[in-house]
Amino acid sequence: MRKTVQRYYPLFPVFAAYFILFLVGKNVSGMWQLVSTLLFYCALGQAFNIFLGMTGYVDFGYVAFMGVGTYGMAIAITRLAHVEALGVLIVAIGFAMALVMAALLSVAVGAVALRLRGAYFAIATIGVNEGFRFLIEGAKIWNGSDGMIFTAQLNQILGRETASALSTFWADVIVLIIAVLAAFVTLFYMKSKIGYALTALREDEDAAVVMGINVTKYKIIAFITSASFAGLVGATSWALKTPYVFPPEVFEIHYTIEAIIIVLLGGAGTLLGPVAGALIYGISKYYLSIFLPGFQLLIFAPIIIIIIILFPEGVIGMLKKSFRDSTLMRFII
Amino acid sequence: MKGRFSLIAISLVVILVFIFSSSLWAASKIVIGHPACLSGKYAKAGEQALGGVKACVDWINNVYGGVKIGGKKYLIKYKYYDCESKKESVTSLIGRLITVDKVNVVFAPYSSGLTLRGAPVAESHRMLYMDHGGANNKIFRQGFRYIVQTIGPASRYHEGTLDMIHKIDPAAKRVALAYEDSEFAKMVMEGAEAHAKKLGFNIVFKRTYPKGVTDLTPLLSAFKGAKPDFILGGGHFEDGQLFNRQMADLDINVKALSLIAAATLPAFYKALTSMAEGVMGPSHWEYGVKYSESRAKKAGLPWIGPTQDGFVALFKKAIGKNIIPDYHAAEAGAQVLAYVLAAKKANSLNSDKIRAALGDLKFMSFYGGWDIDDTGLQIGHSMVDVQWQMGKRVIVWPPEGQTGKLVYPMPTFAEKAKGKLAVPR
Repeated sequence: MRKTVQRYYPLFPVFAAYFILFLVGKNVSGMWQLVSTLLFYCALGQAFNIFLGMTGYVDFGYVAFMGVGTYGMAIAITRLAHVEALGVLIVAIGFAMALVMAALLSVAVGAVALRLRGAYFAIATIGVNEGFRFLIEGAKIWNGSDGMIFTAQLNQILGRETASALSTFWADVIVLIIAVLAAFVTLFYMKSKIGYALTALREDEDAAVVMGINVTKYKIIAFITSASFAGLVGATSWALKTPYVFPPEVFEIHYTIEAIIIVLLGGAGTLLGPVAGALIYGISKYYLSIFLPGFQLLIFAPIIIIIIILFPEGVIGMLKKSFRDSTLMRFII
Repeated sequence: MKGRFSLIAISLVVILVFIFSSSLWAASKIVIGHPACLSGKYAKAGEQALGGVKACVDWINNVYGGVKIGGKKYLIKYKYYDCESKKESVTSLIGRLITVDKVNVVFAPYSSGLTLRGAPVAESHRMLYMDHGGANNKIFRQGFRYIVQTIGPASRYHEGTLDMIHKIDPAAKRVALAYEDSEFAKMVMEGAEAHAKKLGFNIVFKRTYPKGVTDLTPLLSAFKGAKPDFILGGGHFEDGQLFNRQMADLDINVKALSLIAAATLPAFYKALTSMAEGVMGPSHWEYGVKYSESRAKKAGLPWIGPTQDGFVALFKKAIGKNIIPDYHAAEAGAQVLAYVLAAKKANSLNSDKIRAALGDLKFMSFYGGWDIDDTGLQIGHSMVDVQWQMGKRVIVWPPEGQTGKLVYPMPTFAEKAKGKLAVPR
């Protein structure tokens, strides 16, 4: 029993960080929207880390899964808004659609792209992202380039006050729950056969194959899990919080780059790393934009370069090295 | 020792008296909050908007003498942050502006998407939210109560062009619409189509082309057969100049050609030189437009704000660069003027009261007319139509803003190739 509890010790600092964030957001005036941004980055980092951190594969098309998840929620709301009896259930249907659509896309992409490695894999995933966006626009699927704006439908089915609370508060709470779930799943994978197989393939894929590990199977598991979480993040942060979808905005590669920065800053393949990376990234960007509006990126870029040079394994990677034999390591992985 | 102590004590008293008295003498402030796009994809428009707001704030504080509300004088303070043209930053910065900086009004960032992103946050705080860069009409069909638009809505971009041709050449009835498959261009053309039908025009051709198009010849060849009198088209700069260039290559001649987003840019003429002669484009505002106090009087509207040249001078001072402001600056500046007039009219700084006053407000400034409907959609501002004539941009519509007469029909491409320029008769 004690051993089982000990397995989950590393979740404590992650959950503590989320708890503190929530308390700060709720109790310090003017902080909720910042906290909501930080939670978005945490969830994005946690979700992306399941694939990048555990396999070492860089998926430049990751934002496509968020985009598809956004569409899942948007389609549910716009197509079902007239069914008044649904009420808040419409959001649950939206999440189910986001999850299924992101998972299906990841199966389709994974089946092809995961046969490639390194730069070839990265290029193939960029192609998927851009291709999917042009497919939606060109084939005029889901309103094509017009996109969807659905605040009015959300107001209609939930009522103005509830819809407003959903956009400005509950959506952020759901993002927090997604981040918690992603952390839990990450730890579960790390401590199971899946995690060991993924670690083996990350370190040397050919050696892992020789050892008899079915690398394709484990890569696909990590890929689908990571993509499903991305779909949920998109459905929440981009559809519930911002009730509109325009294809160029939800397939913007910039968000994949942000996810990569967050994971590398904190420490790829660690549990606490994406949280640390998200907090460093989000807080520095926010305060630089306040104190040096217009110049923050000029200052922020060298800071990131310095951090990466000083801590090539990320902040948490460095901590793990420094406190290798201490009891602290029970909590940090 | 004693002397030093007395000196310190006296200095402290002097400082305290200074601080206390200056805070007593100082006028109270109205704070405008703005998550401006100073970096990222909308940085150019964001810099212009920043300069426009600063210019008009300067004018209100130093020329207009501040804003008198309830017998008390208020000066305007402009508080802005950089949202990096990103939606996550927009919400966090609007949250901060409202709750930490306690601003009285929030100016939306640039673009329809970012404007929409900030709207629920402003609404949840019952904060007036003024839109100077989101042209999508659908924003105003969502039931937001605190949003008010200054930029002209996308659906009205080509109304002026159609009105002008309807007046100049009533025989020209055949219109072709060929435009980019984008949310913005589609909204513009939907409005154009509706207005054209209202005026009795026939839409003889209507088709979109994909973003990033590199060859428009199949589309252009298709509409050549429809024999339109004039064409409304475009979407962005690249496709706009491709449109014009390939029309010249195929020698497709029409009486008028109006391209959104591309034709008003100086780079358009640089790229096409004489082939751009006579080509038109709608714009929210152009330097040279003739809105003035006397024209406002003629139109029966109250006038507020600097003259056009006054605005340009204040803009240059605000951004520290010797450049002429574009429409992004003008609409952001006009928004300051609208807020000031409404606050005065409401005699209050309460967002609900100012929102109600904005609903009844009609005025003219260097930017042109200003009036909104019940949803907050801008209905009082007319777009200006600009035409390239002898290498210069000439404002040809509306009559109260024009700097020159329209060249109609525009020269054919064969004539332009021989060096013929668009010269008004």
